[in-house]
Amino acid sequence: MSDIFRRYRYYVVPGSMAGRIFVLLAAGIAASAIISLFIANMMRRADFDHIRAERVIASAVDVAERLRQDPGGTEEMLRRRLIFGATLAPLGVGINRPEAGLAQELAERLGPGSLPEVGQVPSGLCFKRKRGPLGPAAAGIADLPPPDCWIVRFTDPGGQRRAIALGLPRLSMPTDATFNLIDLLPIIALSAVLSIIVSRQIAKPLRRLEKAAADFTLSHDPRAIPEEGPDEVRAALSTFNLMQERVRAGFRERTQLLAAISHDLQTPLTRLRLRLEQVKDKELRERLLEDHRAMQNLVREGLDLAGSVEVREDWAVIDIDSLLTSMAEDAEDVGQPVQFLSGCGGVARVKPNALTRCVGNLVDNAVKYGGSAEISCTRGNGRITISVRDHGPGIDEKDLDEMFEPFTRGEAGQPGGRPGTGIGLTIARTLAMTFGGSVALANAEGGGLIAMVDFEE
Amino acid sequence: MDDASAIHPPTIVVVEDDEDIRDLIVSQFARENYHLLAASGVAALRDIYAREKIDLIILDLNLPDGDGLSLCRDMRSEGMETPIIMVTARGTAIDRVLGLELGADDYLTKPFEPRELLARVRNLLKRSRGEGQGKAVSGQRRLARFGPWRLDLFQRRLIAPDDSLVMLSAAEFRLLGRFIDEPNKVLSREELLPERRATVAFDRSIDLQVSRLRQKLAAIEGGDALILTVRSEGYVLASPVAYE
Repeated sequence: MSDIFRRYRYYVVPGSMAGRIFVLLAAGIAASAIISLFIANMMRRADFDHIRAERVIASAVDVAERLRQDPGGTEEMLRRRLIFGATLAPLGVGINRPEAGLAQELAERLGPGSLPEVGQVPSGLCFKRKRGPLGPAAAGIADLPPPDCWIVRFTDPGGQRRAIALGLPRLSMPTDATFNLIDLLPIIALSAVLSIIVSRQIAKPLRRLEKAAADFTLSHDPRAIPEEGPDEVRAALSTFNLMQERVRAGFRERTQLLAAISHDLQTPLTRLRLRLEQVKDKELRERLLEDHRAMQNLVREGLDLAGSVEVREDWAVIDIDSLLTSMAEDAEDVGQPVQFLSGCGGVARVKPNALTRCVGNLVDNAVKYGGSAEISCTRGNGRITISVRDHGPGIDEKDLDEMFEPFTRGEAGQPGGRPGTGIGLTIARTLAMTFGGSVALANAEGGGLIAMVDFEE
Repeated sequence: MDDASAIHPPTIVVVEDDEDIRDLIVSQFARENYHLLAASGVAALRDIYAREKIDLIILDLNLPDGDGLSLCRDMRSEGMETPIIMVTARGTAIDRVLGLELGADDYLTKPFEPRELLARVRNLLKRSRGEGQGKAVSGQRRLARFGPWRLDLFQRRLIAPDDSLVMLSAAEFRLLGRFIDEPNKVLSREELLPERRATVAFDRSIDLQVSRLRQKLAAIEGGDALILTVRSEGYVLASPVAYE
C-alpha cells in the first residue's frame, strides 16, 4: 500500500516547491474560505432562529398576559379574531414538530407551572379564510404569502390549559451559499492566483541561489549574488556569498602556493641545466638531461595549472573552425598525426588563449596516449562541442572521472601509459572553467577515447 | 657566426641577478666568440650602456633594483634600438605579449636549453644587422592593418572589424607576415618560402597555404580580393599596410 502511495505520490504532490506551495495554498485558502462561509451561515441561522423565537415568545407572552388579566374578555376576543395575529387554535390540530428549546424559554417567561408546548404548523390549518387578491395588483406584487402559523399550548395561572394560534408574518431563511459552486468559483480562482504569486515569490530567491551554486561548480570566478529580498532570504544569500568567497580564497591560496613553489624551482633548474653542459661523461649527461627534462615538465605544468585558475585574459569572439584548423596544421607541421575532420562554422565568446591551451592539452594527450588525434566540432542547442578523438586503447568506464584528478595517469600496463605528469586533463578542465566551458571524456564507438570541450555559442 | 663577427665580435650584455646563472651563461657564450659583459641589475646595465656599444641584451625580468619590463620600456622610449631577449620565469602568453609590446624582440622562458638561447641570439643579431638602422626593431608595433583586417603581430591572430578573432596557423602567419612586410609587391614562391628554396619550384604546398589563407581572409566583406595571383610570377598583397 505504501509502495503504491510512494509510486504515485509524485503525481499527486508536485515535485517542485513552487508547485507544492501552490497546491497547499490553493487548497488551504479555498478550504478556509468554505469553512468560514459555513460557520457564518450557521451563525446566521442561529440568529434567524433566535429572532423567530423572540417573535413567537413575545406574542405568546403578550397573549398569556392578557389572559391572566382578563381571561373571559381575552378569550372572547380571541375567538372573534379581534387580536391581530392571534386566535384560538383550531381544534384537532396537533403539533407535529414540537420545538423544545422554544418551549423551555417560554416556560421561563410564563412561570414553572405553565408546561408550554410550541410548534409551527402549516399555515393552512390556522387560516382557512381564502385570501383572494384585494384588487388589481401592480406588476411585481404577488399575492402576499400566508403568515406562518405557530400553535402554543400552555396552562395559565388559573390552571386552565390554553391553546392559541399565532400568525406571524412569514420569515424565511435565504438559501445557503456555502456549497454553491458558482458562488465559490471566484474564491477558488482568487486563491489560485494568490498562491501562484506567493509560490513564485518564495521560489524566486531560491532559484537564484540554485543558479549561483550551479555557476560556482562551473567557474572558479563566480560573481556574488546580489543580496536582496526578505530578511531570511538575504541571510541565506549572504551566507552563500561568504562561503563562495572562502572557498575561492582557499583555492587561490593553494594555487598561489603551487605557483610560488614551481616558480622558485625555475632558478635552480636553470642553473642545473647550464651546469649540465659541463658534464663530460656523455652517457651520464644524457641521463641527467632526461631527469632534468622530467623535473622541468613537472614545474612547467604546475605553473600551468596555477595559471589556469585565473586567466588574465580578455574575452573575445572567435571563429572556432579557424582555431581548430590552425592547431591541426601546426601539429602536422611538426610531424604529429593530428587531423582536422569537420568544422561547425560557429563563433563563440571565450578566452581565446585559454581555449587554445585547453584543446591543445587534449590533442597532446590524444597523441601521447592514443597515438593520433582527430579534431571535430559540432553545434546545437546554443552550444559548441569540440571533440578530440584518438584510436588508442581507451579508458575503463569506471576510471573516466578519475582521470581529471591531478597526477592521475592511464594504467602503467597501457601502451603509452605512464609518461607525462598526469596533470594535462586537470589543466584542460580548469582552463575550460575560465570561460564557462566543461571537459568530458568518453570511450568512442569502435575504440579510442573522445575528449570533449563544451561551451556556450 | 659569419666573417664579420670574427673580426669584430658582437657585444652581448647578460643582465641577471642570480650570480650562478649569469656566470654560466657568460661562460657558455664566451666559447662562441662573443664579447660578453655581465650586469647584476638595472644600474649596472646603465653603466655599461654609457661606456660601450652594445649589440644585444639578454635581460632577466626580476632584478633587485628594478623591473625588467619597465627597464625595457624606458630604454625604447629613450630611442635605444639594441635588440633585447627577455629571459624569465614568467611564461604565460600574456607575459609574453606584454614583454614584446614593451619593446623586447624575443622572449624565452626559464629554464631554457642553452642551445636555444644561442640560436635566438644568433638570429636576432643577424636580423638586426640585415635590417640596418632604419627599421631595426618593430618593438611597439602590435597591429598591422590591411584591407578590413588587422593582424595581431604578437598573438598570431586576425582581427575583424567587429573585433572577432580568426586564428592563424604558424605557416599562415609566416606567409601573411611576408606579404605584410612588402605590400603591393609581387612575391615569388621562393621569396614567400625561403626555407624551402631548393624544392619550392615543384612544391605545390605554397599554393595550398595561400588558398587556405585566402579562405580565412575572405570570411568577411572586402577580404576576398586581398591576395592576388600573378600568373607565372607569384602572389601579391593588394592593399596598403598601416601599423598601429
